[in-house]
Amino acid sequence: MLAGIDYFIVIAYIVGMLLLGLYFKKFVNSSEDYFLGGKSLPFWAIGMSIVVSDIGALDFVGVSGQAYRYGVSVGNFDWVGSVPAMLLAAFIFIPYFWKGGMYTIPEYLGRRYNKSVRTIASATWILFFALDLGVLFWASAVLLNVLMGWPIWISILSTAGVVGLYTYFGGITAVIMTDVVQMIIMFIGGFALVFLGLHAVGGWDNMVEKIATMGPEYQSHFDIIQPSDTSSPFPWTGILFGLTFVMANAYMIGNQSIVQRCLTAKNEWHAKASMIFGSALKMFIPILVLFPGLMAVVVHPDLADGDQALPMMIKSILPPGLVGLMFAAFFAGLMSSVDSLLNSTATLFTKDIYEPFIKKGASDKHYLKVGQITTLALLVFGVATSPISSDFPGIYVAIQTFMSYFQGPLFAILLLGIFWKRTTQWGGLSALVIGIAFAVFLNVFKEQFFHIEDPFLYISWWSFLVAFIINITVSLLTKKHSEERLKGLVFSSKIVMKTKTV
Amino acid sequence: MNKIEITNKLKTAKINQALGVFIALFGLIVIFAMIFTETFVQQMTDLVAGLILLGIGGGMIWKSKLTQIKLNAQERFE
Repeated sequence: MLAGIDYFIVIAYIVGMLLLGLYFKKFVNSSEDYFLGGKSLPFWAIGMSIVVSDIGALDFVGVSGQAYRYGVSVGNFDWVGSVPAMLLAAFIFIPYFWKGGMYTIPEYLGRRYNKSVRTIASATWILFFALDLGVLFWASAVLLNVLMGWPIWISILSTAGVVGLYTYFGGITAVIMTDVVQMIIMFIGGFALVFLGLHAVGGWDNMVEKIATMGPEYQSHFDIIQPSDTSSPFPWTGILFGLTFVMANAYMIGNQSIVQRCLTAKNEWHAKASMIFGSALKMFIPILVLFPGLMAVVVHPDLADGDQALPMMIKSILPPGLVGLMFAAFFAGLMSSVDSLLNSTATLFTKDIYEPFIKKGASDKHYLKVGQITTLALLVFGVATSPISSDFPGIYVAIQTFMSYFQGPLFAILLLGIFWKRTTQWGGLSALVIGIAFAVFLNVFKEQFFHIEDPFLYISWWSFLVAFIINITVSLLTKKHSEERLKGLVFSSKIVMKTKTV
Repeated sequence: MNKIEITNKLKTAKINQALGVFIALFGLIVIFAMIFTETFVQQMTDLVAGLILLGIGGGMIWKSKLTQIKLNAQERFE
């Protein structure tokens, strides 16, 4: 358990984050400031924010836990599972979204297909983000419980209080700028843990040798590519088709919390550069998250739950000061993931549900208030649903399971929407609905179809393929859109700049 | 540079200054934590981590101060 200086560092960090977040309140005067940071943020801040909100709780606890259980193959999520998709997003998709003056990805889908597609896509993201919040709160509780000895509910409520306040007042500017601090601290804390961890296990070679002699289940711990018949959730077929082709692209191109950051950029160059800068930082993540999990196999070989690997490593390896720093870094990651989800969900609800369906044409101040109230409501929902995630064996896998239901179909309609002029509103709508239904079906009957522990990568691939085929088939059978309607929405068309009145 | 651009740059500079103060303070605390360490390796790890944080924070404060002075002068001139 933490004591003395480490306790002080963590408390100082939490209070500091709160004050810093509240300071950004003075930059919020309109709904554009709240949801898009006034379109004035620089690429380096956005790039850091993309990375830190992506690696938050999921990678630090979840991936370390997966590395402890299954070895280095989980590192694919941050290399082939991120970098190519981020570059594709930077050069092809982000310029369209940014120039189109959009607030949300479903807004693009609404313009490209129809209002129903926009609403379904938005509602599914809202549902996913809301469930995700509970998982993140639970992750924070597990960590606080191990390191600080705080009861679960106290941990959840303190995280919710701090993040909720600064997100409520500061909007996306507070979210992105606190992410910058969080990323710097995470990187420094993470590298210190890797350095001291390697020192503790006697170096890399010694660690590999020790793990190899621990039994047959550790034989493939250092194989980045796992055979297709592996019992782990990461066979190469799933990594290539499910992760690289579908989930990575769906996440980096179609995920509101990621793309919304790029839309806050001061100009198109900064929007593109933020993704490229983020992809460069992303390449360091496996070093920070995998190594502690691997080293824990040597230092703590008998852990019942892999998700305990990282907290135990922090406790046993780091010196006073850095234990607090690392814990603050981890807490930072959790806060970052939570604040992103809060702000993105508030944006989705306000722009895609409230504005078109509940109150059209209200004042800007009204929508700003709605965004803030939605943030508070989500916070309460996240706290209330957090115990659900304790029923799942691994936090990270739980998130992927939720996502795999609709990542594939959403990416299929986004991809065809941009690259194929012939795709129609009915093609998009049927692909989305049938694709999601198919993913749920596969998940319910997964024992009959797949032999691996958790086939979320395969589910995302097959649901993508089904949605893709349905979209093409239905589009060919229905009336195509006029050239005028597609202007600025499909690849190679000139994008009409949305004029902004100042 | 027009007035909107100047306002946006001033906003970024003020934000960076606040971030810099926060990061630098954290650096100082980590350096202070050296007195609680037991081994030389631990001591050096705290020192290096603290100095990096202090350097980044100090750099951000210095750069944002410089930008603010420059932009304020430009704003008065225009």
